[in-house]
Amino acid sequence: MDLSVILSGQLLASVLVLASLYALVAIGLNLVYGTMRLLNVAHGELVMLGGYVAYWGFAQWGISPLISALFAMAVAAAAGALIYIAVIRRLFRSRFQARVEANSLLVFFGISIIVQNVTALAFTANNRGYSYLDDVIAIGDARIAANRLAALAVASVACFACALFFRFARSGMAMRAIIQHREAAALVGIDVDRINLQVFALGFALAALAGALISMTQTISPFMGFPFTVSGFVIIILGGLGNLPGSIFGATILAAVEVYGVTLISPSFRSILVYGVFIAALVLRPQGLLGRPIKAR
Amino acid sequence: MTRRGQSVVALALAGVALFALLPLVVGPYALGIGLGLLMWIALAESWAMFSGLSGYISLGHAVFYGVGAYATVLLWQVVPLWLAIPLSGVAAGLLAVCLGWPCLRVRGAYFVILTLGVSEVVKYIVIRTEAALGRQGRLLIGTPSLTILFEAMLVLAVVSMIVLYMVRSSKLGAGLLAIREDEVAAEAVGVNATALKLLAFTLSALIPGMVGGLMILRSTYFEPLQAFSPTTSFTIVTIAILGGTDEVPGPLLGAVLLVLMSELLWARAPEVYMIILGVLLVAFVLFLPEGLLGRAQRLRGPAKS
Repeated sequence: MDLSVILSGQLLASVLVLASLYALVAIGLNLVYGTMRLLNVAHGELVMLGGYVAYWGFAQWGISPLISALFAMAVAAAAGALIYIAVIRRLFRSRFQARVEANSLLVFFGISIIVQNVTALAFTANNRGYSYLDDVIAIGDARIAANRLAALAVASVACFACALFFRFARSGMAMRAIIQHREAAALVGIDVDRINLQVFALGFALAALAGALISMTQTISPFMGFPFTVSGFVIIILGGLGNLPGSIFGATILAAVEVYGVTLISPSFRSILVYGVFIAALVLRPQGLLGRPIKAR
Repeated sequence: MTRRGQSVVALALAGVALFALLPLVVGPYALGIGLGLLMWIALAESWAMFSGLSGYISLGHAVFYGVGAYATVLLWQVVPLWLAIPLSGVAAGLLAVCLGWPCLRVRGAYFVILTLGVSEVVKYIVIRTEAALGRQGRLLIGTPSLTILFEAMLVLAVVSMIVLYMVRSSKLGAGLLAIREDEVAAEAVGVNATALKLLAFTLSALIPGMVGGLMILRSTYFEPLQAFSPTTSFTIVTIAILGGTDEVPGPLLGAVLLVLMSELLWARAPEVYMIILGVLLVAFVLFLPEGLLGRAQRLRGPAKS
């Protein structure tokens, strides 16, 4: 293995771009899991929808994807709130309390199939792409497309904003409290139901933002979401379920494994690598690399 | 045996006989639908034997179907088919032992995601292997007639139902149900959870492996992305949820519903079919989590099992 390959700025830049996007996807997924123990396998579909909003904004009206990303976030937040009110509350009330985790998985899976196929019906199953900010910028020995740089910048700012939100905002702290101990949080006067609603809106909005950014760098299709869901799960298992800083850490690890693996071995190994990390992490350290186990019941 | 038990057995035998004679009366198109129905019955009953009883929801049963198909393709014209199909089941069983050993150590959500993950890994490994061998899909020429495949599938469907019935009323089944209710407590009273789970997981892989072998003889073309498609796993779970999971008639009912629906819709509008599948899944989990069968039993009064 050539050391210069590993240290090349080119690859490091790719790792950073991918890691920042993955972190956005994973934080939303982890929030929903951490606060409610719900497995949102439809998370990737929000990424896909965000991508479509950005695509249509640009293709139809020439709106910059960076601006329509805000619109995508609003749409996704509304969708998240709607799903929480219409579906999740009912799930929590069901007679089969003990099976909420498994049932949530089935419900989200159903939602994911619905969203994928409605999108395919509405916009055809074709891959779509557009070019925006595609001139190449050289930084040191790395040559990177401006749109990837923009994606990295926006995603990093968003991750940083999230960190501040969880640290200082009242609802952010309430979310962390619920992740730590739901009953205790309710006891000290946190309105768990309201915070759950906000978690759904925030998590979905972050996924849509990631999707809008991703659509600048690669083509989108109705079925692009699932790999992001899987990557998201790998990341939150690496970083610890319910552990938010861990998600950023896990995103970096997975992005590094993916970028270096694909470069050093072969692109067709990508899926095997991602799932390999997944299985190894689950079997060896199900509580996450950073420790601090959260009981998965 | 009670009078009621006798009439159930008589009804079941009549049903099987009716199905066995189907190739004499209907054309190839209807027979193809019948084959599909029997396939889903066999898959869903096998799935329910493990996941329904133990509560460990496997989202990876497509891997056993795919490996069975792959084994049959590899054994094609190497050994006779009456041997190749059971060997495909054995291959799936061996894979279940290898996968179950790590997967069954985690529970709940972890297990669900892990089964999905490993089945995808196996899929990509097969794709890599085929690519390394320089094969772009494999064509099987001279496969048995639809009638023979149909009868063989009928045997698998019936066996899968008998297995579920027998396991339910056995010590293994009681152990699995105890694990579903409370694994820690079950172990405390002497249930060897690890061994039972692995045994049941392996048992529930055998028939899907053979089903995969038969279905690849039907399609005559092996392509890993199709043979290992996760849609198979998801459909199995949906069927089980529709019917109500852990008793023999549940998956049967679910499979009939699903096949009816797919016949009406699939050919004309695959997207609409998938959307309806999704809507059904959500609706059933939310409004009818005990499945059609469970609801019917509840309405009829206390269960008489």
